[in-house]
Formats: sequence, structure tokens, C-alpha cells
Amino acid sequence: MNKELEHSFVEELEKNQNIVHKVCRIYTNNQEAHNDLFQEITIQLWKAYPKFRGDSKFSTWMYRVGLNTAITLYRKRKRSIVTEDFSDFQYKIKSEPYDDTEEEQLKLLYKAVHQLNDIEKALVFLYLEDKNYKDISETLGITEVNARVKMNRVKTKLRTILNP
Amino acid sequence: MDELELLKKDWKKDGDNKYPKLSYKDIYSMILKKSSSIVKWIFIISLLEFVFWIIISFALKDADFNKRFETYHAEKIMLPFMILGYLILAYFFYKFFMNYKTISATDNAKILMENILKTRRTVKQYVGFNLIYLAVSAFMVLGIQFNRDKEMISLVDKASANGEVLKLYAITIIVTAVLLAVLIGIVLGFYYLIYGILLKRLNKNYRELKKLEV
Repeated sequence: MNKELEHSFVEELEKNQNIVHKVCRIYTNNQEAHNDLFQEITIQLWKAYPKFRGDSKFSTWMYRVGLNTAITLYRKRKRSIVTEDFSDFQYKIKSEPYDDTEEEQLKLLYKAVHQLNDIEKALVFLYLEDKNYKDISETLGITEVNARVKMNRVKTKLRTILNP
Repeated sequence: MDELELLKKDWKKDGDNKYPKLSYKDIYSMILKKSSSIVKWIFIISLLEFVFWIIISFALKDADFNKRFETYHAEKIMLPFMILGYLILAYFFYKFFMNYKTISATDNAKILMENILKTRRTVKQYVGFNLIYLAVSAFMVLGIQFNRDKEMISLVDKASANGEVLKLYAITIIVTAVLLAVLIGIVLGFYYLIYGILLKRLNKNYRELKKLEV
């Protein structure tokens, strides 16, 4: 791999690294796992980079490779020692105070999302990232209609988890 | 408010400031590290499976019973059978490698999973072929032994004198079949263990996507 390619890749990824962090946030629940998944996504992106032709945006392409890694390719490096799960609220470095009930509800919501299966997580993630059903269907390889149907089911499932 | 809308509001809050910020150097050091993806494991394990069967075939060739087998002068029957075995190995290996090359993280999730499963299916078929090959050659050898092995022929003669030749045939065939069944059972057991551990998550996710099509 030549240096120029390395340089352009690392620069692009540095700029867009939040997409990878967000994928890790949905799919992992402790710092160690987050870092491990981040590492694997980076490797997969780098391996696929020579094939990235720029007919889509770098960021769009990252969503696909990132999710594919999280759903299919990723395998834990080692059986990680159970570390304390961090609350999603650790992601918030500076934020205005929430009112208590909303904060509580959000905590439960993130917890509920972590209970979904890998495919459902992908749907939620793409939805949170404002992707339309066309993008969602193309990323997952399902039809737009099915993406809609599944999204509704995910919403129902979340509601059931929250109000058993 | 819709639960997901509430989540989205929080998700977008503070934009990009809530995530760790890795430096150019951090990311650069990451691309130098080795992947531990499932595809890599599948590749290694599949290669081991090919190697395993090649070693088995060579080990059998050197075994004592094979030296005895040479005295039967059955090359005309066994040689084409062996060549066929190697040709089929080459075919499966080629197919495995081509399938492996099509695996790409830039495909959509479903196609990626299908390509990985296709690669595994080739190895699975190869294992199946080997087990059948093993069973067929065992019975061929048995057939040849009945006709050309001196000890066997004298046993058969003795049995026919006592009128027990059918019993002798039946016992030999049943014992061979049982031994083969045990051997095949062990291989399949190992195989499904490895296969199950390796592809459990992938299969689950693939089923989840497939379910949407119904």
C-alpha cells in the first residue's frame, strides 16, 4: 500500500471518525469493547479503501463498512474481562441539565436499544442518523417496504421493552 | 413523543463533541494492526480442513495395510479412483478460493453474509464428499480383499466348507459399516461444533434478514 493512499485514508477517517464511534456506541456497552470494535472497523475500512472509488461519499461508504463489521465481520479479539458497563451518559461531555424524568427515560431507552438484535440495532442506528428508507434498504440489502415494516416492528419492540 | 424521536433528539445533541477524538497518529497505528474478523478465521479453518484431508490421504497411503494392499495388484481399479479424488479436491479448492475472493465489506449486509456462507458451503460440501469417498473406498477395498487377499480367501473357503459363508460376509460388512459410521460420526461432530461456534451469530443475523422477505 502506498504512502499517499495511507495518508488520504487516515485523513478522511480522522475527519469522519464520529460515524465509527456512533456505530460502536450502538453495538457495544463498555469502553474496551468500543475500542476493540473501533479498531476492527478501521482495519476493514482500510482494507476496503482501495476499492472505494468515490462514486459515493466517503461518509456514506463508511456507514456500510462500519455496520457490516459490527453485524457480520467483527469477532471479539479476546474474551474481555467483564468491565463495568458505562452508561451512555458518559458520552455526554458537556450538556445542559436534563429534567430528571427525561434523563431517566433516555437511560432506559439506550438500555432498551442495547437489548435489540444486531439487525434491529442497525435500523435504529440508521434512523438516528437521519438515513431515509432507501439508504437503509440499500445498506442492509432488503426492500424499502420491508425496511419500513421492520422499523415499525422495532418501535413496537422498544415500547414493549420499556413498558413490559 | 415517539420513543425514537426522543432518542434522536439526544443523539444529535452536542453534535460531535461527545465522542472521543482520535488523532491522526492513533488512527495510523490502527491500520497497521491485524484484523481478527470472522472472515479471517473462516479462511484459516477452511484451509486447515483442506490440509486435514490431504494429510489423511497421505497417511493412509503409507499405512501398513496399504503395503499389503499393493500385493493385490488392484491399481487399475484404485488409481483412477485416486486421481478422481485429487481432481475433485482441486475443484473444491478453486471454488473455495473464488468464493472467498468475492467477500467484500462494501457489499450490502445481506450479500456479504451470503458470500461468507457460500464460502463455508463449499468447504461443507468438500467434507461431505470426503466422507462419501471414504465410505466408498472402504467398501471397494473390502470387495477387492474378498477376491484377492490370501488370508481372506482361505477364510472364505473355510466358511464355505462349514456352510457359513453368508455369515462371514455379513459380519465383515456390518463391522466395516459400523466402524465407518463411528468415524463419520466423530468427524461430523467435530465439524458441526466448529461450524456452530464460528457461524452462530452470522446465521442468526442472516435468518433475521431473510425473515423480512417472507
